[in-house]
Amino acid sequence: MLSNLLVTKQKVVFIIDELNRERIALRFIDSLLHEQGQEAGTIKTLPIGNLRHVSSYEALLNECGNNNNNNNNQSGEAADFKSGPTTDTGTSSTKAEYNIILPTLADLLCYQTPAYIFSFLNRLRRSEHVRRVFLWASPQHLQHHHAQYILAGCEYLAELILRLESETLLSLISRKPGGGVSNKRYACRITKTEFQVTPLDGPAAVGSPKQPSPEADQTAEPASSTFKIELDEDEVVARNALTLPYERTSEPAEGNIIYTPDADDDFDDEDPDEDLCI
Amino acid sequence: MATSVLLACGLNDQKLPGFVHISEESNVDGSFLISCILGQRLRISNAGTLLVCLQHHYQHYFNAGMRLGYNTNIFQGKTLNVIDVLSDMASEGLSCKWLRNPDGLTLTEQLVEDIRAQVESNYANRNSYTILIDNLSILFNLGASKLQVQQFCQDLASLAKERDNLTVITKLSNSDIYQPTDNNVAKLGQVRIQVVRLKSGVFREVDGKLLIERVLDEGSYACEEARKEVLYKVNDRNVKVFTPGEVGVKV
Repeated sequence: MLSNLLVTKQKVVFIIDELNRERIALRFIDSLLHEQGQEAGTIKTLPIGNLRHVSSYEALLNECGNNNNNNNNQSGEAADFKSGPTTDTGTSSTKAEYNIILPTLADLLCYQTPAYIFSFLNRLRRSEHVRRVFLWASPQHLQHHHAQYILAGCEYLAELILRLESETLLSLISRKPGGGVSNKRYACRITKTEFQVTPLDGPAAVGSPKQPSPEADQTAEPASSTFKIELDEDEVVARNALTLPYERTSEPAEGNIIYTPDADDDFDDEDPDEDLCI
Repeated sequence: MATSVLLACGLNDQKLPGFVHISEESNVDGSFLISCILGQRLRISNAGTLLVCLQHHYQHYFNAGMRLGYNTNIFQGKTLNVIDVLSDMASEGLSCKWLRNPDGLTLTEQLVEDIRAQVESNYANRNSYTILIDNLSILFNLGASKLQVQQFCQDLASLAKERDNLTVITKLSNSDIYQPTDNNVAKLGQVRIQVVRLKSGVFREVDGKLLIERVLDEGSYACEEARKEVLYKVNDRNVKVFTPGEVGVKV
């Protein structure tokens, strides 16, 4: 399932949708989170009607902090997100686990400047009351003059970048905390309620020391191929059990030489070479 | 007169979807759709309609209606209300509120205010209410930015969500030029009708093609959509539709 790949420890998830599915972006991400058992109470969104006012964005951050403090029976003032993690008490019990689903990038850009969006995204990333942030962008919907630059900026901030390339193909760039970056491609099968993914034997991890062997490259089946070259276990057994027409149907019990002697044949049990005095 | 085209678009019912968007490609004229829809809404008893005239004066819609067999003047002030931006500009000049930006409101914000006011005063008395915006691309000519147009449509979409039986129908000309705007407006609604020209060129028996996309069900990961494609021919007093490949198309 796609949710196994996206709902991980990585914090900022950026989804680039080439399929024009922006209409169901919120539902899409919500379903991913529910598949992974994230409770509805931990999921927060910004309603589109509130995007015009900067105070709505601040309220979202404050709400996460306040709810977290209330959940931990802590009285007092709300956490100051502007100052980041340094203001926290440092106890692990104060860490909240909110999943923030942002409106689509096209909607955000409709009301706010790119600079503010980057700043807000960065503050969400740094906030320890936020477990994950999801941002959806459909390039066909971006009408900003510098849409490509903004997309690149969001990719830079993100730790997981999912690109829905086609109905059957997606790629996932993952930046791990240690600095490792991997770029994997998956075949996908999408229905209304399921999003199944299968890893493809493509180019291996980007930036990782392990390189694919030439043999692996040779045996790798291209994603677009209509031929199935590799055999699975059942097919190997079936192939081995098959007897081809030119093969003997039954093995002889012992080796026999069938020879019809001629009239001139001289079969003598004596040693024919005894006269050689060897 | 225009029943067949509305039937093809799925807009012949009394209850319409909350938001319908008509995308009109360059070099084709889809204004017949607005006239057809207007006529159909006016024929339904106690169905309110608000016509926001941006592309033409109200007189144009009256003339078009007369050709299609209905008289808008009979309904005006009763079930039909009109916001005639162009006539206001022509009669009042620069003192017109659409050009003056009173209270610091932009053109689109002013329009939303007026539309909301009309809905507040008329919606309660009607079984259903339809807002026709013809057309969004004129807002660009009047100085609105793409983002303002997008915000305008989002405000209209939220208005449609707030009330049952309220439908917003928008049209955008030159949709191929304003593609991102077109996509952003279309995603707000359940029905998108694209008016496109024939790839093969001009043909005297067919004016163009209608591509109708209707979202039947929004799943978690994919939408179930119904797509339909019909050819149309706008005649003097009616609009005819044909299934592509249909034989017997005659003048």
